[in-house]
Amino acid sequence: MSGASLAIPDRLRLLRGANNEGVLAVVLLALIVAMSIANPAFFTLPTAFSILRSSIVPLIFALGVLMVIISGGIDVSFAAIAVFAAYTTVRALQSGTPDLGLIGAFALALLIGASLGVINGFLIAKFRLPTLIVTLGTQGIFKGALLTYVGSRYIADLPASMAQVSTTNLFEVSTPTGSAYLHILVVPAVLLAIGLAWVLRSTMFGRSIYAIGGDVEAARRAGIRVMRTQVAVYVIAGTMAAAGGMIYVIMGRSASPQILVGSELDIIAAVVLGGASIFGGRGSVLGTTLGVILVQVIYNSLILAGVPSAWQRTAVGVLLIIGVGIQAVASRRSSRASVIDETYQKQEVPA
Amino acid sequence: MKLADPETKPLSRLNDSVDAGWTRLLGLGRIEGGVRRMLILVVVAFAVFAALKPSIFLSGTNLRNIALNSPEIGVIAIAMMLAMLTGGIDLSLVAMANLSAITMSTMFTAVAAGDPALAEQLFPVILLAGIAVGVLGGVINGLLISGLGITPILATLGSMQIYNGIAVAWTGGKTLYGSPSALTAIGSSTVAGIPILFYVFVLVAVAIGVVVTRTPLGLRIQLQGANPTAARYSGIASRKILLSTYVLTGLLSGIAGVLFIARNPTASADYGASYVLLVIVIAVLGGTNPNGGFATVLGVVLATLTLQIVSSGFTAMRLSAYQYAIAQGLILVAAMAFEQVRWRRRRRSRKPAVQPG
Repeated sequence: MSGASLAIPDRLRLLRGANNEGVLAVVLLALIVAMSIANPAFFTLPTAFSILRSSIVPLIFALGVLMVIISGGIDVSFAAIAVFAAYTTVRALQSGTPDLGLIGAFALALLIGASLGVINGFLIAKFRLPTLIVTLGTQGIFKGALLTYVGSRYIADLPASMAQVSTTNLFEVSTPTGSAYLHILVVPAVLLAIGLAWVLRSTMFGRSIYAIGGDVEAARRAGIRVMRTQVAVYVIAGTMAAAGGMIYVIMGRSASPQILVGSELDIIAAVVLGGASIFGGRGSVLGTTLGVILVQVIYNSLILAGVPSAWQRTAVGVLLIIGVGIQAVASRRSSRASVIDETYQKQEVPA
Repeated sequence: MKLADPETKPLSRLNDSVDAGWTRLLGLGRIEGGVRRMLILVVVAFAVFAALKPSIFLSGTNLRNIALNSPEIGVIAIAMMLAMLTGGIDLSLVAMANLSAITMSTMFTAVAAGDPALAEQLFPVILLAGIAVGVLGGVINGLLISGLGITPILATLGSMQIYNGIAVAWTGGKTLYGSPSALTAIGSSTVAGIPILFYVFVLVAVAIGVVVTRTPLGLRIQLQGANPTAARYSGIASRKILLSTYVLTGLLSGIAGVLFIARNPTASADYGASYVLLVIVIAVLGGTNPNGGFATVLGVVLATLTLQIVSSGFTAMRLSAYQYAIAQGLILVAAMAFEQVRWRRRRRSRKPAVQPG
């Protein structure tokens, strides 16, 4: 199994990754090289750190969405859950509740996110309804309930414990072009990515998610508790959405019930770009991370290239179409090839 | 026994023919489950709000508003239903409709700058150009889905971003003003107390209903959605069917764009942003199976009316748009769960009859 013993095509396949992560990395690298040649201002530490900073929240959302997509579903309610959890927490901390501190605030938000996730999971697992339809419905319910019963006011001053984090940097580097700051909240995003990668790769739960996404009936017959796993997936997705919402609020230093909702499809696009199959059963944390960063790099390079920000959506749309188009054509070709393989094998058997 | 009674034979034949005729008559009157449910929902929703707030809800203005709001949403919902009928989905409908409205507004403003009278005369050309933009968007979607084989949800997610991005870049994020006054006149006039736009809606619904149930194309679309493999083996050119379906949804989006601009002589990239999800709600509520193969236009029309009645009823009762969002979500989830439970129960009750012992 050592690398040297592998034939060159095998080694290439290994580099390409199970979900085309390698291809994505090459595209990302090519884009960075091209941008750096075109505009030297691009290849600097401040740019890199600001791209990382702007990737934090999309990455956390994307990880939750990834898990749902691997399980064969699709979640459009995560943004509503994120706003609901974050805004309610800030509101609770403001109106009399003693300052719970940062950890207390996060715990409250995550609890809210998990409870909303239970609702999604219950409806999907119990009634076996299409996930898109259910999360579409709950998205409306969550956002409506937030604005009706919790509040609709813009909150400009966060509790002290939260406000403090927003200006904390992990470290700063002075470069000739100015100081570069790496925001502290990169840490939870990276930890979440590593944690989810471990869960998906090496735990019974993670493998069950892939199995359910691949074929529910086969998973059931193999003894996987489909309902329990599905509920858990949506609870964890809800919790992660809440974490993303809290981080968004902290980094923006304000809370409003009108944020985030409407950006769901952009996140889903990044996850799909990262090689996850919309039919379930396929996808990886590495691919998703690359997909999220690729989208952010494109945003950033468009700005540096002087393209009006209005074209950002178009650029991501074109990228998505190219990405899934290549995958679709390749899979069609490979399925045709495998049919030929099969007939070939069948002919060989009697001989 | 050998000699059949000459009297009874014609009688039994008559009996048979009466029987057959009766069955056919019953078949005509028989209402599909989804449609019946929607009919009940429409009546119940109307009755509830009429009883709770008759002074506002039953006023002419309110009823006219329902009739004015329904067409644009309804036409897009019918387009969504068509996409779902093939087992797909079209997320780019609203973006295409906006792009069509923006095209019309821009064309009119450009011509009117030189010669206002000419711009008014060119009204039919402008109208056709707007619809053509929708068709073009549909052709692109159709080629992505049928030609490249991209999953509809991803293809239209991408094209939605592209169309919407073009619209944002084109308008600079601002609202465009100006449209032919003939179009605005159509949008604001009524015949027999009912807005002309509502007649357009009914016309579109009937046309699509005829296409789906009475033409070979409609039959193939249904088959394609019900079972793609079976459709392929029965010699249906799946790619051609998919392409025609998405061209049709593009055409309907173009018409929706005309309705947008007829109602309000303005066009913007972010008009009707909430419609994307709303029309999915309507389509599913109207009995459309999101996995394909089953849908009725009548169900979708009734679902459109139901949601508009609930929406205006909420306004009449001074409830907020957010409370309407909650209601919308609850209606959707409840309708789906109800359907699923009933379907499962029916399947379960049928099982013991099949199993011996």
